[in-house]
Parts: sequence; C-alpha cells; structure tokens
Amino acid sequence: MSQDYTPQELMAVFIARDLRDGDVLRVGVAMPVVEAAVRLAHVMHGPNMELIFLGTRMNVAHLHSLPMPAFGWDRRVVRWAESYSDTGHRFDRVKDWDKHVFFIGGVQVDRFGNSNLIGVGPDYRHLRFRGPGPVGTATLTTHVGRYYIVLNSHTPRTLVERCDYVSAFGWGTGGADARRRLGLPGGGPRYCVTPLCVMDFAEDDKHMRLHALHPGVSQDDVQGQTGFDLTTPEPVATTLQPTPEELHVLRTRVDLAGLLRRSTREG
Amino acid sequence: MEPVERQKRILDETDAAAWVESGMTIAVGSPPPMALLRQLIRRGVSDLTVIDSGLSLDLLIAAGCVRKVVSYYAGGGFGVAVAPSFRRAVEQGEIEVWECEEGILATGLQAAAQALPFLPWRGGVGTSLPEVNPDLKIMADPISGETLIAVPPVKPDVTLLHAATADPYGNVQHLGGPGWLDLFLHRAADRTIVQVERVIANEDTRANPWATTIPSVDAVVRAPYGAHPYYSRGFYVQDQDHLQAYVKAASAAARDNRPDDLARYLAAYCREPATHADYLERVGIKRLLSLYEY
Repeated sequence: MSQDYTPQELMAVFIARDLRDGDVLRVGVAMPVVEAAVRLAHVMHGPNMELIFLGTRMNVAHLHSLPMPAFGWDRRVVRWAESYSDTGHRFDRVKDWDKHVFFIGGVQVDRFGNSNLIGVGPDYRHLRFRGPGPVGTATLTTHVGRYYIVLNSHTPRTLVERCDYVSAFGWGTGGADARRRLGLPGGGPRYCVTPLCVMDFAEDDKHMRLHALHPGVSQDDVQGQTGFDLTTPEPVATTLQPTPEELHVLRTRVDLAGLLRRSTREG
Repeated sequence: MEPVERQKRILDETDAAAWVESGMTIAVGSPPPMALLRQLIRRGVSDLTVIDSGLSLDLLIAAGCVRKVVSYYAGGGFGVAVAPSFRRAVEQGEIEVWECEEGILATGLQAAAQALPFLPWRGGVGTSLPEVNPDLKIMADPISGETLIAVPPVKPDVTLLHAATADPYGNVQHLGGPGWLDLFLHRAADRTIVQVERVIANEDTRANPWATTIPSVDAVVRAPYGAHPYYSRGFYVQDQDHLQAYVKAASAAARDNRPDDLARYLAAYCREPATHADYLERVGIKRLLSLYEY
C-alpha cells in the first residue's frame, strides 16, 4: 500500500481531531505521538487549549512552531510556560478535573482498558519484567473527564485479556457502572489508539471494541495482534487519512525533528 | 556574659552527607542533589530506603546503597523505558519496592508532615496497588461511606534537596519555584539538607522574604554545579551526554552482564573524587561551561 504518512502521524492526527478547543491536556513522559497530537490540535483548532507537560502549563498558540521538548523541567521547556507547579499544585483541585484530558500508555492494557505500568509476571516478588511504575496515572485516570490510551505497538503481549497488575483503572471487569460503583468520578478511557487501529469501549459492557481500522490494515491483522476477542461492529470504519494541511502543519510546525516520520507500525 | 550568636548552618558536603547512616530512609528532591548523593556512594552507605524517581535513584541502586525503594516512577529515558539498575535489582529480588503512585506518595508525605496516622486518597481505588503494597488499606469513609485508600505516613529521616540559594541560617530560595515534590519531602522529614548553587547573605533573604520557599532547613551545603549532570534552573542545563553515558553503562551492566563501564563510571565520578570540587575537576571546566545557559 502506498502512503505518504506513518502510522504514528496518523495516530497523532486522529487524536488531534478529537481534542476540543478549551480542553486542558495533561501529557506525561515518553509519548511522542501525544506530544505531537496536542500541539497539532493547539495550532489547528485549539487556541484556548492549555497544554500541561509534567508541571509546566502553557498556551503557545501564538508561536509559529511548537518544537517538541526533549525533557521536562529545565529552562528549555519552562520558558514556554505561563506557570509551573510542583505536585502539590498538580494534584490539587482534582474536583475540577472533569475538564481535563489525560493520555496513558501501558506495559499491558486489557480488554476493559485497565493499564499496567507495574510489571509482568504472576509473582509480584519475582516479576519477569519490572515496569517503570504507575507515575501519576492512578490519580489522573480516576479524576479526568476523559483519557486516551495510546500505545506505541499493537501486539498480543501489550493488549492482553487481563493485566497482571492494574495501576490505572479503566472499566475494571466491565459494565457501564464499573466506575460509578467504585466512586471514581472521571469519565474513563475514551479511545485506545494504536499503530493498527482505533478502539473504543462498548456502551453496555465496556469491552474494547474496534472503532476504525487504519488504512491498509485488515480486521484479521488487528485480531491476530490482540490478546483477547475484540468486539467488532459491522461494517468497520476506516480511520480518516490526514489532510495535506494537517500533514503540512504537523511536519513544519510541530514535529520538526521528524520523530513520528521515523516510526513504523512496529513502533 | 558570653555573647551568644545565632548559629550558622553551613556544612561542607562530606559533613552533611555524614548525617545519613546505613539503614535510614532518605528522600531525594528534584533536581537531585547529586553532590550529596555522590558522597553517600563514596562513603559506601547501604541498606537505605530511598524515596526518589528516575536516574538518580538508579545510580544509588547501581552503587549498592539501596535496600528498599519508594518510587512512583523509575523511567530511564535515553531509549530505555525502565531505569536499568532498578529493573534488574527488582527482577533479581535484590531490592524491595514500596509500590505507590504520585498522588499516593504526596498523601503519605502529607500525613507524615501533619503527624497523622493516615490520610485518604482516591487515586488507586480499584487498582492492584493495595494488593502489592499491603501498607495501603482500603477504607470506607466514615462520613459518606465512599471507598478510599488510607495512606500511612511516609517519613524520611533526612531529605536531600538542591536549590538556587540559601542564606547561612537555612532560608532557601528556589529560582523559579521548588522542584516537584521538594516541599512535601521537606515537610515530612526529620531533617532537611539543601545544597545550593550560591550562599547568599541573610540581608538578601530579608530584602525579599516572599521569595523564601523553605524556611530554616537544618543544613546548607555550598555546591555550585552540584546538580550536575542534571540541570539547575537559572544556572545550567542538563548534561545529556553525561546522562546518556551513564544509561549506556548501566544498561550494559544490567542487561548484558557487562559491568565494566558501570564500575568505571562509579569509580571515576562517585568514589574517587573526595570532594565536590574534585568531581567538578574530573568533569572538566570546558564541559561545565558549555552547560552554563538559561
């Protein structure tokens, strides 16, 4: 199939389109697709968005280009900010986080959108793979109005039937009231975006469901790379391709270093 | 009568680091107070419980100082998702993890600061955190019956911070605000040591008391470039090449069982330089000046 954009660029464009002007976007570390997506949305249609990278909160819609910062805290990032906060401020006012949007990855993500950053293996004292740890994801996913699960690779190792450990609660063991039963005020995961497709969560049982296949990817490709039976509506939509304008803005005003262009379907 | 003078709190890095003894709980602020951490490594302090995240934590683990980790994030950066020495030590069962999350850790520190047996937090309800960390208890809120997590106090014996300036009496002024959890780590601790880029006069503090971010810490250490290879806001940027070299050496040791480069790193930068000044000489004036911006 001939295409002039990478899966990672497509993912960034899909996410950017789904972000609304006025959203407060909270971005963590090591997620280049998300870093690009929020900037693209900011310059394309979100002049009133607030971008929060770790502790630095910025609105930089007036800048021609929004280069991707390499690291979180030093002056090279903070100089863009209108404010900078320590954790005390970061995790205050959670009562207002229904307006906030978060993005999460995972060592494992299961069919109900739970995420695991702790590790892999049946015995917690002897993990086969030790992950980086939950960061702030348990608190953020509890409270934000909506969040996006964004994965760099789509494999049965990542998308599993059940996470070995849950460090961020999506829809638990399923059911539309799974979060309400636990008193979790946030809206839960909205989409799971991967290099192969976009998935959402069925309204009734909150199983992960195929939402759109990226151009050139088949349903069998996706199911073969997914560790659980994916709910699949008929017919399946195709992810809308980036417009020339979106790609132009993405490449000339956001991803100047070409981080997403070097990527592949394997991540 | 003998004149009584207000006591200055300035110590050199070796005397200050001597407050930390094997087996203690220490907390590390951000940017990490590397001059102090290197002294702990040099002294061979061991069996520490360390509240920290990232590569400074990894370095302490690589140097054999750590028995238990209180961390919400041990990412590597530089192409590795997980800090290499942390990952290996946990997988081998050499160190224990007090599994937590950023909001939970802040809550535990706050409980310690306020001398409370616990404080409740909602983030983590429904997750595996209370299972893998039995110190976190699921509780029913006595007011409304909601499910919450009771977080016990997280209490450092000594908190180690890096800041821009302090006066001789321990009044600290961060440039551009305190780092990340710094205030939480200080409030929860028995004692706090702050290493600074510059010691300022008490008159300067009194000229602008609003700028004081932490009053009256227990010790002040003069440590220009003390956060190297990390950044110090207003003074220098992060030394990416140096951190990259560390990650490469630590990865070779942890993943490929090739510990030589890591051993050389620890010797050259942590164990051989007797003082912070010796460390800076080893890094070299050209490298240091190249970072001197913003």
